[in-house]
Amino acid sequence: MRVPSGGLRTWELQRVSAGYLALFTIWFAAHLILDPPADYQQWYAWVAQPWVKTAFILFFVALLAHVWVGMRDVFMDYVKPVWLRFVLRLSMMVLLLAMAAWILQIMQRVVPA
Amino acid sequence: MSSARFSIYRYNPEIDGGSYMQEYRLDDIQPGMMLRDALLRIREIDETLVFRHSCGEGVCGSDALNINGRNGLGCITPLTDLKQPIEVRPLPGMPVIRDLVVDMDRFFEHYRSIKPYLVAHDPEPEVERLQSPDERDRLDGLYECILCGCCTTSCPSFWWNPDGFRGPAALLQSWRFLADSRDQATAERLSELEGPYRLFRCRSIMNCVEVCPKGLNPTKAIGRIKQTMLKHIL
Repeated sequence: MRVPSGGLRTWELQRVSAGYLALFTIWFAAHLILDPPADYQQWYAWVAQPWVKTAFILFFVALLAHVWVGMRDVFMDYVKPVWLRFVLRLSMMVLLLAMAAWILQIMQRVVPA
Repeated sequence: MSSARFSIYRYNPEIDGGSYMQEYRLDDIQPGMMLRDALLRIREIDETLVFRHSCGEGVCGSDALNINGRNGLGCITPLTDLKQPIEVRPLPGMPVIRDLVVDMDRFFEHYRSIKPYLVAHDPEPEVERLQSPDERDRLDGLYECILCGCCTTSCPSFWWNPDGFRGPAALLQSWRFLADSRDQATAERLSELEGPYRLFRCRSIMNCVEVCPKGLNPTKAIGRIKQTMLKHIL
């Protein structure tokens, strides 16, 4: 028997992150269409606003969380040898955490001029 | 249509090294003839062909088959609707015992695990446990399941995780008892389904809805179980 864990919580995480990703994408696309930045300085100034920056950081958090649940599901469905699944899930975790650290490092440097 | 061609999956583990498809031809096909009638006639020609069947009218759920790639009941599938040669295979994802007969043990283990009966802790009342007409209406679309296995064996999530995932048939029945106003085991039923496998392997592929010969909707029932779980922890 498998130890029950990560049922409802991960499902919720997947749904909530999907909802945020959808809303963010619509909002981001709308901004690019309605008020496109003329140059890099304008684009930078827009992203550097605290609330836009927060929205971006949340976007990346939601994206990584969504990828984690999705890849976990793929491994659970298609990778049957337990050791291989363990290695893959661990590697995925390390990769996602590294990406998260990288994104935070980048976003930290984005400050209003 | 006066004649029909069939291609039927054959496998006898005592004789055959592997499975193979065997061709048959039937003449004098009557309008309105069902696949089960045809299989019975084929068995008159070749008595080694093995398949399950019983009531012949879509009530017992014995003759679930994979017909031209789609799960359904042989007894209520008219031959005229089928492209020829009619390919008949056992239910997918299940161990074959012989020819079209599969081992349904795992399917019924999942069914048993959801406790398919009322659990009430209150002392037995003098009369029946009563329900209002509205409460009874909530069981419509749930109680009609005949446990033929068409849905569960067409579900990719069940193919990938046949031991862990309960499958649409068992989960529909789980909701049937969760939705019952007389049942008092909601928390136990929900915690039994927690974890990544038993309930949450469902990815809303909806093959189950597509093939159910009784027109039921297991995907919707699974969604209701998830909603109830959410409400339960909030």
